[in-house]
Amino acid sequence: MKFLEMTRRGALAAMFATTALAGVSMGVAPAAAQTPPGVLIVGQIAEPKALDPAAVTAVNDFRILMNVYDGLVRYKDGTLEVEPALATDWSISEDGTEYTFTLREGVSFHDGSAFNAEAVVFNFERMLNEDHPFHNTGPFPLAFFFSAVESVEAVDDLTVKFKLNAPYAPFLSNLAYPTGLIVSPEAVKTHGAEFGRNPSGTGAFKFAEWRSNEAVVVEKNPDYWDGAAELDAVVFRPITDANTRTAEMLAGGIDLMVEVPPVALSEFQGDAFTVHEQAGPHVWFLILNAKEGPFADKRVRQAANYAINKSAIVNDVLEGTAEVAAGPTPPAFAWAYNESLEPYPYDPDKARELLAEAGAEGAELTFYVTEGGSGMLDPIAMGTAIQADLNAVGLDVKIETYEWNTFLGEVNPGLEGKADMAEMAWMTNDPDTLPFLALRTDAWPDKGGFNSGYYSNPKVDELLEAARVATDQDERAKLYQEMQTIVQEDAPWVFVANWKQNAVTSDRVGDFALQPSFFLLLDDVTKN
Amino acid sequence: MTGYIVKRLISAVPVLLGISVIVFLIMAMIPGDPATAILGSYATPENVEKLNRDLGLDKPLVQRYFIWLGNMLQGDFGRSFSLNRAVLDEVLERFNATLLLAGTSFVICSILGVAAGVVSAARQYGLADKAITFAVLLGISIPSFFLGMMMILIFAVNLRWFPVSGMWPIYGARDLSALISHLTLPAIALAVVATGVIARLSRSAMLEVLRQDFIRTARAKGVHERSVIWRHGLRAAMVSIIPVLGIQAGFVLSGAVYIEMVFQWPGVGRMLVDAILKRDILLVQGGVVFVAACYVLFNIAVDVAQSLLDPRIKA
Repeated sequence: MKFLEMTRRGALAAMFATTALAGVSMGVAPAAAQTPPGVLIVGQIAEPKALDPAAVTAVNDFRILMNVYDGLVRYKDGTLEVEPALATDWSISEDGTEYTFTLREGVSFHDGSAFNAEAVVFNFERMLNEDHPFHNTGPFPLAFFFSAVESVEAVDDLTVKFKLNAPYAPFLSNLAYPTGLIVSPEAVKTHGAEFGRNPSGTGAFKFAEWRSNEAVVVEKNPDYWDGAAELDAVVFRPITDANTRTAEMLAGGIDLMVEVPPVALSEFQGDAFTVHEQAGPHVWFLILNAKEGPFADKRVRQAANYAINKSAIVNDVLEGTAEVAAGPTPPAFAWAYNESLEPYPYDPDKARELLAEAGAEGAELTFYVTEGGSGMLDPIAMGTAIQADLNAVGLDVKIETYEWNTFLGEVNPGLEGKADMAEMAWMTNDPDTLPFLALRTDAWPDKGGFNSGYYSNPKVDELLEAARVATDQDERAKLYQEMQTIVQEDAPWVFVANWKQNAVTSDRVGDFALQPSFFLLLDDVTKN
Repeated sequence: MTGYIVKRLISAVPVLLGISVIVFLIMAMIPGDPATAILGSYATPENVEKLNRDLGLDKPLVQRYFIWLGNMLQGDFGRSFSLNRAVLDEVLERFNATLLLAGTSFVICSILGVAAGVVSAARQYGLADKAITFAVLLGISIPSFFLGMMMILIFAVNLRWFPVSGMWPIYGARDLSALISHLTLPAIALAVVATGVIARLSRSAMLEVLRQDFIRTARAKGVHERSVIWRHGLRAAMVSIIPVLGIQAGFVLSGAVYIEMVFQWPGVGRMLVDAILKRDILLVQGGVVFVAACYVLFNIAVDVAQSLLDPRIKA
């Protein structure tokens, strides 16, 4: 055996072998080379599931999809209001059940096939009709966004008519959501179940390459109907560990990083980086069990809202990456938000007073906390701060912590008999979604909704039903604003925070802005 | 000999079946189902039920197990929900990456660990021994994920000698030097603890041997000290060092999970962690069964090799 004949010098040499190895590799390939101009490297939070917009549910995947596909409509830059995209115009019937879209002329998919009314029909049939020959390219978990659609019909080559089974006002903003993005029927027919790895849309970038666990590469679509992108290509890299993502950004391995951990923001103070922030349609709240226990009394629920120091949570725990929430609707829905709402002030004395009135001093409360999860920010630290604030006004809060999927399995079926309060967060695309699914009497868990705290107010039910069928935006806005006032007063939740999404770009990146929709739009971005 | 191998292979069948039942039951019993994980906020009972039906998870447990087992015996490990990709393709690709990382680490920790242990024992209580013992204790005490992060900060962010993460450059040639520059930091970070353990045990094994008569005889005969240590001493000590190396090989393989997370190495450990969090049942089951099968086969190969080398072990 050679090994046994090794000299002491040999052993020492072995010890330094790795160092030598390092030297070699340094000489041959400068490891942290500058990223090339015109190619934007984006640090993503995970490997995408698929690049088929009908099949995915994660914001992480949406960030790629929004640059490869277009929908019939889209959100106007910097807002959550819809504007024309692949449809140039539309009309809504008097009763709000028929939407007729005029499509943009001369648009082609990246694979060369034509975008027309038949393509739109194919897209929605594939998702909604179980007998469609390509329905088996699913499953399509968010197809229920369009469950109101009774039929889709190509009136002529550039006209499409949707018939709904009942008036449904959020329909247009659901079309602007990634689930409504239009894919190439030809590509679906060619690739079948593998379409998600061979995507073809009409967007500013066309798919080039997907190297598993390494990168998704998209290239400029020179024929883009809305003007070709500035960048030649975008590379999306999955980097799941937030610390590693931060290190890549600092080392120049990526040009744009999303979801910067609050504690890492201070690393990016210098001129070499720009930190972007944008409030979005997100709300972080505590569900209170209004059916039984102390929180069945409105005064105790209000007391909890007064007792919790939301500014401290937002500024200290979240390092300023969120704002204090006032009510159930995030301010990002500017048109539907009630500007007159003020958050519950931090007032422990008032909280003690209310608790005394209700005779709930010293009440024992079980509090469900999660370890992480979509939109949950820093749930353990936030839960601990909340526990301390509630104990300070004389309540006795016990925390039970669960891993995210287990947590959802405990909370979604309702808190009855298990807990008095639970953390929760939602990101939605329409002011209808969250209150409709989580505040109505008909949304109690046993009826298939998310009202896990059993809040019930007939007036709120009425307002939400009316807002859903009103097609006039001003009228809808009034209904939502009234609903917010009532819900804030009733306090079925503790309204805690609205998250501001953040991103960091290097000084080589220009014209980048985050959107309130939380989508990542890169067609105007430059990089030198 | 052939009979022995066949016997061992047959005895592996119940082991693998047992593993498949256990991993299947664990995935069925843990709270939270794939549909809830996929739907997240939108997981209404109605939506969950529909998606479970689409995913084929609405069938009875026993039926699901046998469908899975039957498909697997035909080489079809199913499709991952979270990656929308054939499980076997993903597992094979990821397993190769882990083998490369863990293999490199194992070579590093075996060579450095044994060498450090021998030098340390030969110079017992000398300066070299004290220095090595200090370094070894430090290495054993640092959690590998923390060491990995510190190495990234120093060598990738500040000095920029190495890339921060990944296995290949995002653009540019995918050649050996690119691979080595990506492999160096994670392989060293993974090797440190095992190097320490191997060094400690090699040192005591060597000390044991160096006290024995045949060493004194060798020295009395005037054999050069270098030869006494490395030729006579180490050869005898290897008998007790090799089992330690075997145990450390397993340790390095399982320790790769943390390192893969920190360095975003596309290995099987990171894949399983992600898959468990996403309740990607088929990917977890397929991954575990595949790794277990490799482990069982590896063990059989070792036993067979041993029985070939050592006639006292009956075939």
